[in-house]
This record gives sequence, C-alpha cells and structure tokens, in this order.
Amino acid sequence: MELDNLKYAWRTLAAPPASERSPEEIHALLQKRSGGIVTRMRRNLTGELILIAATYTPAILFYFLDFEGKLSGIAWLFILLLTILAVYFFRKNQLLKAMQCTGCSLYSNLLQQINTLKKYIRFYVWSGTLMIPVMFILSWLIIRQKFPAAPGADLFYQLSGTPWWQHPLTWAVLLIPVTVGIYFINLWYVHRLYGRHIRKLQDLLQEMEEE
Amino acid sequence: MKLVQEHRLLLYKVCRLYCFTEADRQDLFQEIVIQLWRSYPTFRGESKFSTWLYRIALNTAISDLRKQNRRPSTTSTDEIPPSLPDMTWPGEEEQQLQQLYAAINRLSDVEKALVMLYLEDKPYEEMEEIMGINQNNLRVKMNRIREKLRKMTKEATYGIR
Repeated sequence: MELDNLKYAWRTLAAPPASERSPEEIHALLQKRSGGIVTRMRRNLTGELILIAATYTPAILFYFLDFEGKLSGIAWLFILLLTILAVYFFRKNQLLKAMQCTGCSLYSNLLQQINTLKKYIRFYVWSGTLMIPVMFILSWLIIRQKFPAAPGADLFYQLSGTPWWQHPLTWAVLLIPVTVGIYFINLWYVHRLYGRHIRKLQDLLQEMEEE
Repeated sequence: MKLVQEHRLLLYKVCRLYCFTEADRQDLFQEIVIQLWRSYPTFRGESKFSTWLYRIALNTAISDLRKQNRRPSTTSTDEIPPSLPDMTWPGEEEQQLQQLYAAINRLSDVEKALVMLYLEDKPYEEMEEIMGINQNNLRVKMNRIREKLRKMTKEATYGIR
C-alpha cells in the first residue's frame, strides 16, 4: 500500500450519511454541553464555588444575627475564609482558561497544556495543604475567644496558665503531622486525577520532538 | 455554521481517524464544532482558514482525555480489528482505503495527524504551521510512517512479520 496512490481516493471519499448535518442540527450541537476536559474542570470548579458559597452564607448570617451578635467574630472569620477561597477559585479558573490554545499549532498547544497543568497541579497541592494551617489558626482563634477556660482545670493549666486545648503548642504539635499528611494525600489525589493525562501529553510532545 | 457545513467532510475524517465507534465520532464532532464556535472570534486571518481549522480539529481530537478511554490502544495491536465496523466499502479503491484506515488505527495520534495532512496533499510548509514541527523533522517522520504502513500492509496481506 502506497500512501501516494491513496491521495485521490482519500480526498474524494464521500461523507457517510451520519456526517450530513443541517444548519439546525449544527445549531443544536452548539447548544449541548461541551465534554472537553478543561470545560468539565471549569464546570466542576463553578459547582464547587456555588456549593461553598451556599454552605457558608447561612453560617455567616447565623453567627451575625443569632446570639445577639455576640458571636459575630466567627462570622467574620468565615468571611475571611470565604475570601481566601474566592482567591483560590479565581486563580484556578485563570489557569484553566490559559490551559488550551486550540487555534495554536499542535506542538504549542501541547506545551502550553503541559506547563499550565503542572502549574495547576502545584497550585492545587500547595493551596490544599496550606489551607490546613489556616483552618487550624482560625479554629484556634475562635476557641480562644469564645470558649473561656475554667481556671485550675488541669495540671497543664496550672503550669502554663492556659488549658491544653487553647495552648498554641498543642495546636502546633497537631498541625505538623496533619499538614504533612494532607500534602501527601493531595499529591496522590492530584496525580490520580491528572497523572495519566499529563503523561499522555508528555509522550505526545516527546514524540513530536524526536527526530 | 456555514463554515462547518462546508468543511464537515474534513471534520468527519478527523473523527474517523481518532474515534473507533460511531457514538465517539459524534461526540468528537460536537466537541470540534463547539471549539470552532468558541475560537472563531480569535481567528485573525494570519494563517489560512484551512490551517486554522485543522489546528482546532486535531488539537481537540488529540488532547482530549475523554476519548482516550474509548480508543483502541495504539500499542496493543492484537485488539485492533482488521477493518472498521459499520462501514461498507464497495470497489477496489475503497477497499484500499479500508485497509489504510485499519493500518492507521495502529499508528500513534501524532502519526495519524501527519498521515491525514499528507493524504490531504498539504505542503510541508502548511503541515509545519499546523503541527509545529519543522519541515526536516516532518519529512523524516513521514518517511518512517510510509515504511511502517507498508510493513503493516504486508503483515496483514501475507502474514509476514
């Protein structure tokens, strides 16, 4: 089989009936949801954002309005957390938007996808890990402010002047292993999600570069 | 929409190359149309329209994870059927094309794109613009692919390995 001999047949190959589409059918295709990986990732991100906003908003309102506003500090901490999450979602969305350049050459598009996906993975792992200390610190602030200690409750209190569950050392001891553990869990999870895809893209790029 | 109508055969050929079942072809066709629709405002006419169209179609077909699971593996040749299902091909030329499709199925995604552009009689200059691979490298790759296809056809016809 010689490729050159097949050029004519290839170019004159009639389209199968399935490819015949009226303008209405094409219009209907455009109304459907895209199944592309980046579009799906952006859709999931929007879903997560809506879910978080829907969960936090009632909590914020609750702490502002109930208890005669005495626990409004907690509401402010939730707002702070929500702001951090908004920045997180914004950055993720930015990276997803930059991930594809379908109008670029195949090589440039692959390179862009790999580089952006690597950035995305790094951001995913580090933000997911750093979220843990932030949560710990916020929880510590809430507990410290809102749950006063009973003086002389235990030996720890007598020695340090603070109950153990309010002492920064206790939190630091808990924080380190939890953060390290979360880092590795994030790393494992993100590679489970995107590892295969990134390897496939790298293989394609390598094949294109080979002489 | 008019452009999609005009180039639907080209799009369908891409779908045929990269998808194994009719359902997957329909999905990919839809995805390419959506990508064309989204990217059209960014088309500035710096390259030929057909170059841009090929880029969109091939980028969508190659870099989309969704279809990877549905495609037969390019490395496991045992799983590849000798011909594509749900197609009837009368005539000798069509039979050759059928053989060609069966052989192409055993190529990698990049090689498939190169074969398609070659069969479409695209000059190496345009192939470089679409693929982003320099012309010398493209020529080397095309020679390798031609040899590979020749070998595959021999294997299929005479059982020679």
